[in-house]
Amino acid sequence: MAYQPKPPDGWLKTNLKYNKHKGSWAWILHRITGLGLTAYIYVHIYALTTLTQGEQAFDNEMKLFTTPVFKVLEWLLFSLVLYHAFNGVRIVLVDWADGAKYHKKLLTVVYGLGVVLFIGMGVLMFREPIANMFASLR
Amino acid sequence: MYKHSGSRGSGAPGWVLQRITGILLVVVVIGHYFVMHSDPASGHTYAAVLARMHHPFWKMFDLTFITVGLWHGLNGTWGIFRDYKMKPAVSLTIYGIIILSGIAFWVLGVNTILSF
Ligand code: HEM
Ligand code: HEM
Repeated sequence: MAYQPKPPDGWLKTNLKYNKHKGSWAWILHRITGLGLTAYIYVHIYALTTLTQGEQAFDNEMKLFTTPVFKVLEWLLFSLVLYHAFNGVRIVLVDWADGAKYHKKLLTVVYGLGVVLFIGMGVLMFREPIANMFASLR
Repeated sequence: MYKHSGSRGSGAPGWVLQRITGILLVVVVIGHYFVMHSDPASGHTYAAVLARMHHPFWKMFDLTFITVGLWHGLNGTWGIFRDYKMKPAVSLTIYGIIILSGIAFWVLGVNTILSF
């Protein structure tokens, strides 16, 4: 029952030295995005409690969340969602649908679909500034 | 519960549920994002949010979301801690923080939804 001996170089160094291929990066990213989204849910639930304090309180709070910096942050958050969601489906296919035979192709699909939807969301979110930009060129 | 506090339990039911809730969340989270950004007012003004909040469909949607989302996120987080060997006291403390904060924030969020 003794604890396992520490690796000679220490935990962090051993992990950093460990040879990483595409699949290990996919796994690391899945962890980071999962933890990020969990942290976001906590903040999100707390931020939404102003709804119970009436219109003034909520719309005042939204003044901050609709500044350009937060708009961009909200867009970037979508990249965590997309990666974690599609890679999550990939994990399920590997576990339950013989996905081990084609998991590398699936990874390409994960990244491809993610990029396309991310850009699509960017257009949806920023269509007004984009339209204004083109209008001012004319 | 103690069974799961030393990286000993197999965690199999959680493992299966993690996958099922994950698949459900694909539709829910991506759908949520498109609804919230379908126009600049949708997710960022009291009027637009309240219009949804009074509707039974969106109430059920939000209740499902907060329940399934928090469970998936926290079961996943606990799964990460389970990867490391920890002294039982440390592991129990982390487990306690996860469970208690999860319940507290679930109540907070459900209260917001049911206020309307
Ligand atoms: C959008 C659809 C989602 C899908 C398809 C999905 C799928 C998955 C799957 C299959 C796992 C298990 C990974 C494994 O056992 O190796 C997982 C882990 C995890 N998920 Fe999700 N998930 C989704 C959304 C979310 C959301 C919204 C959150 C946060 C609130 C979240 C947080 C986590 C965390 C923290 C883990 C643990 C990561 C790890 O063990 O490395 N997921 N997800
Ligand atoms: C930046 C993008 C987002 C915006 C603007 C946004 C906005 C909102 C709004 C206005 C509500 C209130 C309910 C409604 O109007 O239907 C809500 C609820 C909710 N959202 Fe989001 N959301 C975003 C992203 C996310 C993400 C990525 C997640 C998951 C990780 C999430 C999880 C939830 C949950 C669980 C609820 C119910 C919360 C509660 O009852 O307190 N949201 N969101």
